[in-house]
Amino acid sequence: MALLSPPATAPTRAPARTGSPLATRLTARTSSTPGRLTVLMVVLAALAIAAGLAAVIGVVQRSSHVHSVIDRTGPLTVDAQELYRSLSDADAIAANAFLSNGQEPAALRTRYDNDIAAASAALTSATAADPGQPAVQEISAQLPVYAGLVETARTYNRLNLPVGAAYLREASALMRDQLLTAAKRLYDAETTRFDSDADAAAGFPWLAIALSVLALAGLGYAQVTLTRRTNRLFNLGLVGATAMGLAALIWLGSSWLGARGELASAQRDGSAQEQVLARARIDALQARADEALTLVARGNGASFDTDYGTMLTDLVGKNGDSGLLHQAGAAATDPTVRTAVNAAISSAKDWRTTHQKADDANKNSEYTRAVTLTIGDDPASSASSFNHLDQQLAAGIAATSATLDRHARSAAGALAAAPIGLAVLTVLLLVGMVAGLQQRIAEYR
Amino acid sequence: MKNRLLATAAAGLLLASLASCGSPDSTVRSTAPTFRAPIPAGVQDPASAAPGGTDSSDGSCDPRASLRPPATLPAPGQMPAGSTMADIVKHGHLTVGVDQNTYLFGYRDAVSGQIVGFDIDIAKRIAQAIFGDANPNHLQLVAITSAQRIPFVQQGQVDIVADSMTINCERLQQVEFSTDYFDAGQKILVTKGSPYHTIGDLGGKKVCAAAGTTSIVTIATEPSHPIPVSVSDWTDCLVMLQQGQVQAVSTDDNILAGLAKQDPNTEVVGPRFTDEPHGLAIKKSDTDFVRFVNGVLDRMRTDGTWAQLYDHWLGGPAPTPPASKYSD
Repeated sequence: MALLSPPATAPTRAPARTGSPLATRLTARTSSTPGRLTVLMVVLAALAIAAGLAAVIGVVQRSSHVHSVIDRTGPLTVDAQELYRSLSDADAIAANAFLSNGQEPAALRTRYDNDIAAASAALTSATAADPGQPAVQEISAQLPVYAGLVETARTYNRLNLPVGAAYLREASALMRDQLLTAAKRLYDAETTRFDSDADAAAGFPWLAIALSVLALAGLGYAQVTLTRRTNRLFNLGLVGATAMGLAALIWLGSSWLGARGELASAQRDGSAQEQVLARARIDALQARADEALTLVARGNGASFDTDYGTMLTDLVGKNGDSGLLHQAGAAATDPTVRTAVNAAISSAKDWRTTHQKADDANKNSEYTRAVTLTIGDDPASSASSFNHLDQQLAAGIAATSATLDRHARSAAGALAAAPIGLAVLTVLLLVGMVAGLQQRIAEYR
Repeated sequence: MKNRLLATAAAGLLLASLASCGSPDSTVRSTAPTFRAPIPAGVQDPASAAPGGTDSSDGSCDPRASLRPPATLPAPGQMPAGSTMADIVKHGHLTVGVDQNTYLFGYRDAVSGQIVGFDIDIAKRIAQAIFGDANPNHLQLVAITSAQRIPFVQQGQVDIVADSMTINCERLQQVEFSTDYFDAGQKILVTKGSPYHTIGDLGGKKVCAAAGTTSIVTIATEPSHPIPVSVSDWTDCLVMLQQGQVQAVSTDDNILAGLAKQDPNTEVVGPRFTDEPHGLAIKKSDTDFVRFVNGVLDRMRTDGTWAQLYDHWLGGPAPTPPASKYSD
């Protein structure tokens, strides 16, 4: 800006100095009014282009983060969750099937098969979305091994040979020590990535805003200067350019505000609640497997039983009035979610009551009654309460996931037209500015 | 002119920046993970040195000698007041620590869901002698691992352990044993056609046994130096043998016979290289119960029940039951 000195002090010709040729040329150019105007035009053009580029690139990047949330990290989080659920359910079901004497019930067999199919499907989409993820590779390598061990266990069980139970235990150890820990790692990695994508998408466009404000200030300065020199109030080109610049700034700011608001809703009403519900579901699944394994261990399952207690406390608290489910209920903004969570809480309480009965029966040498209470299909059995709990949590997760998706899509919508719009406004600004200044410069020729 | 150039350049830059944002990130090379064989939960490979129990023949005691039973056993259902048996009646059931993974001795029948076997039937006879009837609710079976047998007896979580348990002098310091009710000795189980015929052939090879047994100690102290691998349950050893993770299983021949029966591709080979008398373990302070159990065992030896159980579970003809021997 210092290049353009006010007219009062203007034509002080610089004394002939021994400077570089460039400096001499610059001095020569800026010494005349048209020269100064030309330099001003170049500086303003550079600023406007920089601001336009920063705005467009920034919006495109944020938009790509939003799309990543919608198309990649969002679904991947769901896949990771589904993978964990199906694997953990398979573990619980395999143990349940072992508890039923003789032939395993067809319903359990079907459910196990569906779990393995669901796990494979989730694994396939997780692999497609994130091929280099080591957790995915580990699960892909070990899932067939797990399924093979379970089939071996089944075969021996049908032959009524106790080595079948040893194969089942080996399968369960593989599931818990390797597959489920890998699935948990995958889930954690995807949630972290989801959050960082969402944060990046909501970031304030500092550079673009700063450059735009600077370009607008430059335009304003040019207009003030020209008005003083020429006594003409308006330069149509520069006024138009200023209007374009202001429009671009408003568009940039409002698209940011809109996207940020939607993303905040997506996190608050969507992902944050979904993550709590997903954790609750994982806890419930683990507790279900613990319950079955306690009975499989037959009197020697104290560690599983302790783990069951820990999971239920995590879920609904010691007295049924805290824990993840209450946290989820308090955070719920959607009535559907709230209803589901409340139903889940009452199922969890029923489950704990029945489990206590089964545990008493088991300790009281009524093993068969304990098994019936645990895996029977009576509406009051542990199996029924757990299934109901799981369904409610699934419904809550589906609802929050849909909310998340809806808000993320609105955020994408807020950013959708911005790159083209901002580019067009920048070009129009340049055209107006150049036309306006060129007109003045021409007057000196 | 220059300005038009500038504008063109700016537009070009804008377009280029738009285009560059859409390019996908480079695909990541995925390397195939190396296969890691699954292992049973609780495997120790190699097993840490010597848990619980040295050789039974160290001469510091006579492991086969137990407490003499009373001249006449109290009638079933009428246990003397204040006795351990009266306490058991009061609890409503005899709690027995058993294995559910030793085929033919104590294992879960997958069809009925019940734990059955030779050891279980011995425990049933003791419950009957206490309660006077065969009500299954009077017998509570608690499945335990080999390593849990002594602590469970000492802490009173079970009244008695019936689980192919070898009587030896070190264990006699911790718990009381009944008289010898089954004689066994350690052998090896290998895959048919393997080059191993005795424990001496297994130097440097992996040999499996359950943790907390005399067998794992014997493997660890063999002069041929096999590598001991310990597991929770005997069937885990068979799994590891089938999966090629160990070259042999070594323990009492009765347990090995049960494993061999589950896989016709395995066989028990070589001579017995230890002497393992099996007894029922009872808390040290419950001497009245030890005497009572010895009386029940004696009756089973003489009235043919023992031979009948042997025939039923292990296939006859039954040998002569181990003779009872008393220290006082």
